[in-house]
Amino acid sequence: MLFYQIRLAFKSIRRNPVLSMLMIGGIGIGIGVATVFVTAHYLFSLNPIPEKSDVLHHVQMDNWDPNRGWDDNDPEDIPDQVTYRDMVNLMKSDIPTYQGGSFKTFLYVYPDPEMGRPFKKITRMCFSGFFKMFEPPFQYGSGWDLSADENLEPVVVLGPEVNQKVFGGENSVGRMIRIEDRDFKVVGVLDHWRPFPKYYDPHNGAFETAEEVYMPFEFFRLLKVRSAGNTSNWQEFDWSDDDQYLASEAIWIQFWVQLDSAPQKEAYFSYLNSYVEEQKKLGRMQRPTHNKLLSVMEWLDDRGAVPEEATSLMAISLLFLLVCALNLIGILLGKFLARAPEVSVRRAMGASRFSIFVEHLVECETIGVLGGLLGIAISIGGLEAVNSLFDNEFSFSLDGNMLVVSILLSLLAGLVAGMYPAWRICTIPPAVYLRER
Amino acid sequence: MLSMTAVKKIYRTNSIETYALSGIDIEVREGEFVAIMGPSGCGKTTFLNVAGLLDTFDQGSYLLDGQDVSRLSDASMSRIRNEKIGFIFQSFNLIPDLDVFDNVDVPLRYRGWNAKKRKEAITESLQRVGLSGRIKHLPSQLSGGQQQRVAFARALVGEPSLILADEPTGNLDSHMAEGILDLLDEINQDGATVVMVTHDATIAKRAHRLVRLLDGQVVEADSVPHRSAFSLVESL
Ligand SMILES: Nc1ncnc2c1ncn2[C@@H]1O[C@H](COP(=O)(O)OP(=O)(O)OP(=O)(O)O)[C@@H](O)[C@H]1O
Ligand SMILES: [Mg+2]
Repeated sequence: MLFYQIRLAFKSIRRNPVLSMLMIGGIGIGIGVATVFVTAHYLFSLNPIPEKSDVLHHVQMDNWDPNRGWDDNDPEDIPDQVTYRDMVNLMKSDIPTYQGGSFKTFLYVYPDPEMGRPFKKITRMCFSGFFKMFEPPFQYGSGWDLSADENLEPVVVLGPEVNQKVFGGENSVGRMIRIEDRDFKVVGVLDHWRPFPKYYDPHNGAFETAEEVYMPFEFFRLLKVRSAGNTSNWQEFDWSDDDQYLASEAIWIQFWVQLDSAPQKEAYFSYLNSYVEEQKKLGRMQRPTHNKLLSVMEWLDDRGAVPEEATSLMAISLLFLLVCALNLIGILLGKFLARAPEVSVRRAMGASRFSIFVEHLVECETIGVLGGLLGIAISIGGLEAVNSLFDNEFSFSLDGNMLVVSILLSLLAGLVAGMYPAWRICTIPPAVYLRER
Repeated sequence: MLSMTAVKKIYRTNSIETYALSGIDIEVREGEFVAIMGPSGCGKTTFLNVAGLLDTFDQGSYLLDGQDVSRLSDASMSRIRNEKIGFIFQSFNLIPDLDVFDNVDVPLRYRGWNAKKRKEAITESLQRVGLSGRIKHLPSQLSGGQQQRVAFARALVGEPSLILADEPTGNLDSHMAEGILDLLDEINQDGATVVMVTHDATIAKRAHRLVRLLDGQVVEADSVPHRSAFSLVESL
């Protein structure tokens, strides 16, 4: 029966090709636009590390100005990074399975002059726990050991791009690389890695690429580098003085722990609370105790990882689709009512109101789906435009999700446009139209 | 087969009430061939529409095959139309986009038969009206008489027990009309009850019985068929 209804729908679409093209075009544009923004929104809200998002936790505590909170508008909000001294203290705990703070900076890499000129590269200063927690894929080798952190061994993990530039993409594990004024031994080379969003450090470009150089955190002292990301502070001190800087309340480190079980998480949370109480006795953290231990998705949610623009563009595009669908109602109604005599004949031959309704709804859905196919073509072009908003190599592309979104949207649009006209035509009194000849 | 008592049908438009049927009493027995005559506007088409469950009525009672049909759902009425009733209209009412085969297919589509069974029935029905050579033609590519034959094939294909024909020959010349009437006769002899509206007294003679309507009421009904089944057998 559905096959018969679809055949009738195509007959009807062919009967008036220009009008049909206009209808399909109108709904297609709506679906194309909506698909782009619904898919973009969906991708923004994806879990970047589904296997571990429940065990990785972002650590936050309120070390801010007792007289003025972190966010004037939201008293619930607390600083989103930690100080150097808190990181060092917290890392004395042996409760987490893995842990570590990290920050983003830029360092100069000096390749062999034969390979090319020195270049500046995005770098993450981190601990061995970084690789254990976030599990970036390795092409060669692996991360470094805990002992390399403790003994400050000059080791480095490279991204694929730097490995390409400096070593021609070969397995460079064991080879030396000059970064700033020091030589480091390569222990691992990452494969292409693109956490989206960059959940472990969304403050500094949530949709940026991952770092290309990773080295033990404490090298920041020897290389005399500071964070190239956001640093916030509420006290006066001499920024040029390292000791003052590191002892200050300035926050610039993203601190994560891996807690595999509920008891472990509970234990760590009470450890965090007692640490803060201890600090209060020392005269720090005079604001009400408010610590946060958020899992990956809680953390992204808390930050609002989906850009507001993505949400509002999605809403606008869906409204646009609704307008396109509503527009179609009038056209379909006219088209269907013009067919009243034919429908009356079908009713006389035994078609129930319901079969007439379904027949016409199928026609609307057919127009919707044809519009959806056109919409897919339009959205491929639309995604190119969205991609140009992100000025790096990452790109949205047409995928299965998007096809499903398009088809669902087109069925929905067909339903919205078709319900009323189909209902009207199925309720006409057939006797009246059989008389009119 | 069909029994109406005091059936009224009122059209209300802007406080004007038109009695299209003002208390019809009529009884049509199974296997009869009844002709309905009457001046224009007397309610003949309205009667057929009510009898065929295409239109509702306001008062009175109507039993079709002994079943009270005044309170049926749309689905049950549609089912009865589909299985028991075959309509034939003055203006043929073929669907212009569908070829002959698909037009005859329409009632079967709502009966849910499989493709093979439908095809057999359609072929047989078209053979019966002598149009098996025209299945791929569109209605616009056929003469009036041929179109009415397709309409016949469509009305017959589901083997209905009641044929309701509204001036089936009104748009045809006398030669073509003759052929159509022969077909009606044949269907009737095969067992279907036929109710035919006509303006033409000579055509009405082909029926067993004549019913005259005036202003929505039966004014004259032959109690004795003017061509009984008995005389029909004799004439053979
Ligand atoms: N939709 C309607 N609204 C109002 N009045 C109507 C409507 N349909 C029919 N009528 C009236 O009902 C009466 C019966 O109409 P009907 O079509 O049954 O007559 P008829 O006997 O078939 O006439 P004809 O021989 O011309 O076909 C007429 O007076 C007509 O004006
Ligand atoms: Mg009439």
